[in-house]
Amino acid sequence: MKHWFRLHGLALSRTLGALLRHPVATLLHLAVIGLVASLPLGLYLLLTSVGGVAAKMPVEPQLTVFLKPEADVGALRAQLAKDARLAQTRFVPKDDALKAMESAIGSGDLLAGLAENPLPDAFVLTARRDVPAAELTRLEQNLLTDPGVDTVQLDSAWAARLEKAIALGRHALQVVVLLLAVALVLVTGNAIRMQILTRREEIEVAKLIGATDSFIRRPFHYSAAIQGVLGGLAGCGIAAGAIAWLNPAVGELAAAYGQPFLLALPGPVELAVVCATTMLLCLLGAWFAVWRHLRRYR
Amino acid sequence: MIQFQQVTKRYPGGLDALKGLSMDIQPGELVFLAGHSGAGKSTLLKLIAGIEKPTSGTVLVNGQNLARASRGSLPYVRRHFGLIFQDHKILFDRPVYDNVKLPLDIIGFDGREVKRRVLAALDKVGLSGKEKLNPIALSGGEQQRLCIARAVVHRPSILLADEPTANLDRDYAHDILELFKSFHQVGVTLVISAHDETLMADYGRRILRLKNGQFTA
Repeated sequence: MKHWFRLHGLALSRTLGALLRHPVATLLHLAVIGLVASLPLGLYLLLTSVGGVAAKMPVEPQLTVFLKPEADVGALRAQLAKDARLAQTRFVPKDDALKAMESAIGSGDLLAGLAENPLPDAFVLTARRDVPAAELTRLEQNLLTDPGVDTVQLDSAWAARLEKAIALGRHALQVVVLLLAVALVLVTGNAIRMQILTRREEIEVAKLIGATDSFIRRPFHYSAAIQGVLGGLAGCGIAAGAIAWLNPAVGELAAAYGQPFLLALPGPVELAVVCATTMLLCLLGAWFAVWRHLRRYR
Repeated sequence: MIQFQQVTKRYPGGLDALKGLSMDIQPGELVFLAGHSGAGKSTLLKLIAGIEKPTSGTVLVNGQNLARASRGSLPYVRRHFGLIFQDHKILFDRPVYDNVKLPLDIIGFDGREVKRRVLAALDKVGLSGKEKLNPIALSGGEQQRLCIARAVVHRPSILLADEPTANLDRDYAHDILELFKSFHQVGVTLVISAHDETLMADYGRRILRLKNGQFTA
C-alpha cells in the first residue's frame, strides 16, 4: 500500500512539475478546455433561467373574449357552459376589469377625464389541456361569428410557443454537449500525444528497464485529470463572467416587460458536474493517446 | 539461468537475424558474445531481455518462457536484468543523478534508499561528485559509465551489455571490463557483446561466436 502511494505520489509530483515548467502551454490548454466547457454551460444556464420563467406561466391555453356593449351576456354564458372544449368559464364585468386595472397601475381615479368606463365586458375561458391548437383556432373563429363578440385573444399561445422553443433549446443543448465532448476528447488526446512525443525517449528507456504500462500511463492520466478539473473551473468562470456582463442588459429588457428576470449564475452543482465531466473527458482522451503509443512496445 | 532452444528470429521482410540457436548460460557465468556487426549479437541480447519475441523456439530465463510471457508480466521479468545499451540511451533532459534513479523509481524504492543506492552506484563506476551535472557535460567514456551505473543500481542478477567497449580507447575499455569483472565476482551473471575479440581473450572466459545468426566454433 505504501509502495502504491509512493508510485502515485511520484507521478503526481512529476506531473505538477511538468505542468508548471510549461506555463504557457498549460494555460493555453486550460483556456481551450474552459472555452469548450463554457459554451454548453452558458446555454444550459440560459435555458434553465428562461425555463424557470416559463414554468410560472399558465400553460393551459386561455382565451379572452371581449364583448360589444350590446352583447347578450346571458345567452353567451349558456352557450359557453355547454362547450365541451372548455374547462372553465369566467365572466369579468367591465367594472371588475377597471378595478383590477386600477390596482395594477396603482391609481384610483383612472376615470377622471372620462365620461364612462371604456373597458368592455369579457369572458376569460380556459380550454382543456388536451384540446389541440387547431381546435382552439376553430373555437376562436366560432366565437367571432357571434354578433355580441368584438375580439378574441388567444392569451397563452405564446407561452406554449415559448415552452416548445425551450424544448428545442434543450435538444440543441444535447447536440452541442455531444459535439463538444468529442472535441474535448480529441483536443486532450492530441495534447497528451504531444507530451508523449517530447518524452518518447524516457518512455522507451523506462519500458526497456522494466516499467509497467501503468507506470508510463500514470503521469499522463494525472496531467489530463488535473487539466480537466482546472479547465472545468475555467469554463465555469468564463460562463459566470459572460452572464455577469450580460445580466444588466437582460434585467433592463425584462423590466421593460414588467418582469424581474436575470440569468442564473453557475452554482456548486453545475460547478461539480462541469469539472467532473471535463475531467472524465480529458482522461478518456489521455487514455486513448497513451494506449496508442504503448501499443508499439512489447 | 538463460536457456535458448532452437531459437529463430526473423524480422519483417524475411531477414533471419538468428537461426535455430541453442545455448545455456549458468548462474554467475561471464559470457562474451563475439561477431561482426550484423551477426545477430544485439538481437540475441534483446531476446534474452524480452525486448524482442522469438519467431520460433524457446527462451527460458530463470525457468520462465519469455516467448509466452504476457504483456503484464514482462516488466517484472526485465527487472532481473541490468541493460547496458550500445547507444547508452541516456536522458539528457535531467541530471546524472536522475538518470541513475529511474530504475529505482520504476520499482518504487523509498527516498532514503534511493539516494543511498544512486550514490553507491555512481561511486562504483567512478562518477562521484558528478551527480548534479547534465549528462551532456560528460565525456563518451563517462556516459558509458553512467549507463552502467543505471544498469546496476537496482542490483540485478543478470547484466546484459551490448558493445560496451565500442568507441573507447583500449585503456578505457579495460577499465570498463575490470568493472564488469568486479560485478562477476559478486555473483552477477554477465553477457557482454563486442566485435573486438582481442579484449575478451585477456579475460579467458567463455566466448560465443556468432556469424550470420549462427554459432561458430
